[in-house]
Amino acid sequence: MLDRDLLLVSGKGGVGKSAVTAALAILGARRGMKILAISMTEPLGLASHLGVDALAYEPTLIRPGVFGATVDRANALDEYLSLQLPLGRTVPTGQLSKALNVLVDTAPGVREIITIGKPIYEVWEEEWDLVVADAPPLGQLQSYLAAPQTITGLVPTGAVREQARRLQDSLSDPAVSGLLLVTTAEELPILETRQAIAEIDHERRVPIIGVLANRLFEPLLTDRATIEELVPSAAKDAALLHSDVTGQQRQWIEALPDDPQLPFLFDVRTPAEVAERLADELERVA
Amino acid sequence: MKTTHTTVVTGAGGVGKTTLSAALAIAGSDPDTTTLVMTVDPAKRLADALDLRGLEAEPVPVPKVPGLWAANLDVTSSWEAIVRRYSEPDVADRLLVNPYFRAIADRFPAAQSFAAAETMSVFIETHRWDRIIVDTPPSAGGLDFYLAPARTADLIGGKLLHFLTGAQLPGRRFLYRFTGRPLLKVADTVLGGPLLEDVAEFLLDLRTMYDALTARAHTMQRYLQRATTLVVTTADPAPMAEVIRFFEDLTDIDVTPAAIVLNRALPPEWAEAALDPVTGIDDPQVAAELTTNLANWGGEARRQATAMEGLADRYQAPLVSVPWMAEPPTDAKSLEELLADVELSRLMAE
Repeated sequence: MLDRDLLLVSGKGGVGKSAVTAALAILGARRGMKILAISMTEPLGLASHLGVDALAYEPTLIRPGVFGATVDRANALDEYLSLQLPLGRTVPTGQLSKALNVLVDTAPGVREIITIGKPIYEVWEEEWDLVVADAPPLGQLQSYLAAPQTITGLVPTGAVREQARRLQDSLSDPAVSGLLLVTTAEELPILETRQAIAEIDHERRVPIIGVLANRLFEPLLTDRATIEELVPSAAKDAALLHSDVTGQQRQWIEALPDDPQLPFLFDVRTPAEVAERLADELERVA
Repeated sequence: MKTTHTTVVTGAGGVGKTTLSAALAIAGSDPDTTTLVMTVDPAKRLADALDLRGLEAEPVPVPKVPGLWAANLDVTSSWEAIVRRYSEPDVADRLLVNPYFRAIADRFPAAQSFAAAETMSVFIETHRWDRIIVDTPPSAGGLDFYLAPARTADLIGGKLLHFLTGAQLPGRRFLYRFTGRPLLKVADTVLGGPLLEDVAEFLLDLRTMYDALTARAHTMQRYLQRATTLVVTTADPAPMAEVIRFFEDLTDIDVTPAAIVLNRALPPEWAEAALDPVTGIDDPQVAAELTTNLANWGGEARRQATAMEGLADRYQAPLVSVPWMAEPPTDAKSLEELLADVELSRLMAE
């Protein structure tokens, strides 16, 4: 899983993709790698799982081996422009920059390309052993993955087009990039994940390296009939609920490829604790 | 003419808003009154539970539940209706074929929420239903739904256009004469010339709707303030954080939630029971496993209790628990059972 330059982590909202992103960064650092964990959307989730209040645009050391960053759109736009503009032209500031932001929000592909561009620029810097990105949720992921192509379709020639083509090359190269999908074993996340796999495989914009099923309950060894025969008690009710939930999860999980799974974590309090424990689990399976 | 009472069900993605909306709608239905439930992309199993395959934007009666109607939010057709309603016919024709119109309607979470709020308002204004239950799009923990009216008006107000053209609405050609300005030079480099012209034209058309949409946004906000707002959450850290953010930002628009609903609640007594050894099980292996299992789930129940106490300390809104069902509801009856132990009057004003 960690054996490439860029690992994008996505999934339906609420399945734990920020926690998994943080856990992968922690795991990499434990193996002695220098990791950049970067948030491509709302940064609070990744920040809290890394145990900090906020993430900055510039990569900042969070713990030994782990740097954190977020793609702040205004900053990313400046960086994108400075790469695009002919030498000597300065990036606009103040009112001009605000107005440019509105344009960027409206024109198709531009906002997405600066967002997906940032982690790839970081890969090009060759400063990191791995860049792990908390990518946009499944519903929006496709438009981000398609952005380089959208731009090459719109802009016939020149530096912008060339840049977009380079981004696309890095994204689709299995030696460089990979997409990890996170899901829980419930109806909507599983169906959306399967649909996304079909579409992404078809478009071939980024190699999918696997599907991590998160929050899976361990089946009880005690069989169902034995539980049902017990006299009423909290222990019996809890065992019945556990066995029902496990059964439901197993049904949904069958629809997925046979990839590593992460357990439901009992008795964790903080997002940082969740990430630490998931890193322990990943160490076992990855 | 009916005076419609509206209940808005909001919260983070994945906490069970749509299922709870359907359960509330069923629990509140009877043959003498009419209820409409407006959903956002229900899971297939939920649609099946209500015998509603292929639910569309137009409300349809729910088979087997007298008095209940259902509709699904269709963002694209809802925006088409908005454009037809609030702009001149020639502008509407141009906007509807403009590729950016589609891009905006699809891409901005605020645009999706604005469509939902508009659809809700249209349903309220038909006076066909005694009660409307509104499931909300999940973006920003449901907050977008409340802030979208104002934000969308801002967006269409167009900072960019103000900057380019001043407060007066200019003619098209007037805009292009500004191509000498530095912004357009930079934008030209980034976006390409023809693209920029298309975007500018689109924004100009959109801006003609500004006054009508601003007035509409005020009406929507009044409906939202009058509605019963339910905030749904689970005890997981992420949705809990969204609840806190929701309450903090809602004060700006004068909406007070009527209740916080904890979904997937465990029996609180498990927390206590987990502290004692399990008795009455002969097989020591079974006893050991079920003791561990109860300790796990009791720990969860305790975590839920702590989370709920935290919310109760912070906010005035009453807390309502809906039990954790291992199997999602498969029919109208099991949907109703979900709320069997809940005092409905706390969730729906009469």
